[in-house]
Amino acid sequence: MDAIISSPLFGIVLCILTFEFGVWLNKKLKTPLCNPLLIAIALIIAVLQVFKIPLENFMEGGDIISLFLAPATAVLALSIYSQLAVLKKHFLPVLCGCLAGSIVSMVSAAGLCMAFGLDKALVAAMIPKSVTTPIAMEISRQHGGLVAVTVAAVIFTGILGAILSPLLIRIFHISHPVAQGVGIGTSSHAVGTTKAVELGEIQGAMSGISIGVSGIITVILSLFLPI
Amino acid sequence: MKIILQIGVVLGICLAGEGISLLLPIPFPGSVIAMILLFLLLLSGLLRPDHIRQKSDFLLQNMAFFFIPAGVGIIEYADSLLPVLLPLLLICLVTTILTFAASSLTARLVIYLQEKAAASKKEGE
Repeated sequence: MDAIISSPLFGIVLCILTFEFGVWLNKKLKTPLCNPLLIAIALIIAVLQVFKIPLENFMEGGDIISLFLAPATAVLALSIYSQLAVLKKHFLPVLCGCLAGSIVSMVSAAGLCMAFGLDKALVAAMIPKSVTTPIAMEISRQHGGLVAVTVAAVIFTGILGAILSPLLIRIFHISHPVAQGVGIGTSSHAVGTTKAVELGEIQGAMSGISIGVSGIITVILSLFLPI
Repeated sequence: MKIILQIGVVLGICLAGEGISLLLPIPFPGSVIAMILLFLLLLSGLLRPDHIRQKSDFLLQNMAFFFIPAGVGIIEYADSLLPVLLPLLLICLVTTILTFAASSLTARLVIYLQEKAAASKKEGE
């Protein structure tokens, strides 16, 4: 049994099985609350706890999967390139929207963390929470944040965006599809973008572009963080 | 292009991004440098989308999957996290709403100003 759980294949197979179960459940129940990523994480934590399997054993395989995060970020360039015509036409609104959103996200996260009296490692972990995971993880790590907290906050933010965005569009009277996409992509990255794609083609494209643009803006802004 | 070559191209660019990141005087994620590098290569025409299409589709379509181990890693910090779980969730909720409002309302305002400027230009002609 030890030989099985200490193999890197154990973590990889566990991830695939739980994620596919999450995808199946999501299709079956058709509710954004059943996010496959959330289900996979919760199930794996439950399996490790119940069978008393050390985290290190799971990470033998987990680290191999994490290797794909950097290439996954890099190829966002292809998504942006594919939508070059749309981006050229609405470049200014996209840029201004992403800039305003990124500033509000970082400032409000830092301000609220301080209002709750959280320590520095948690503040640094929460500041980049609106951008896509690999970028957020990197910013958090470089500023001494708890990377696991960042990942949890990013994922939770994404799920919130996917659930709330149709409601927020009505509350703030956002009728323009470009503005809808920018709002979703900037506030809730790739997970929120799945909802933008459902709303329409322009929303999906603009949301996708906003992931990359907000990511870059947040990286640049984070260079000036006083922590 | 053969899939093994596509993987080679993407990973090669990522490696170059990591290298450039080490050389920079400021901390800037290697993965983001790789993204900019790849975008410039596509713009310049040195790389065509079909050179990396299959590999990119694989990565983008399974993006959520690659985040699982990072999310599971949170249990290592469970002891320090549980007492602040509620504030953290509340902060996520409030900032998500604020960020959505700021970005979408700004985009809407800029689109409105652009259309107004275009309309008044037409009137002047």
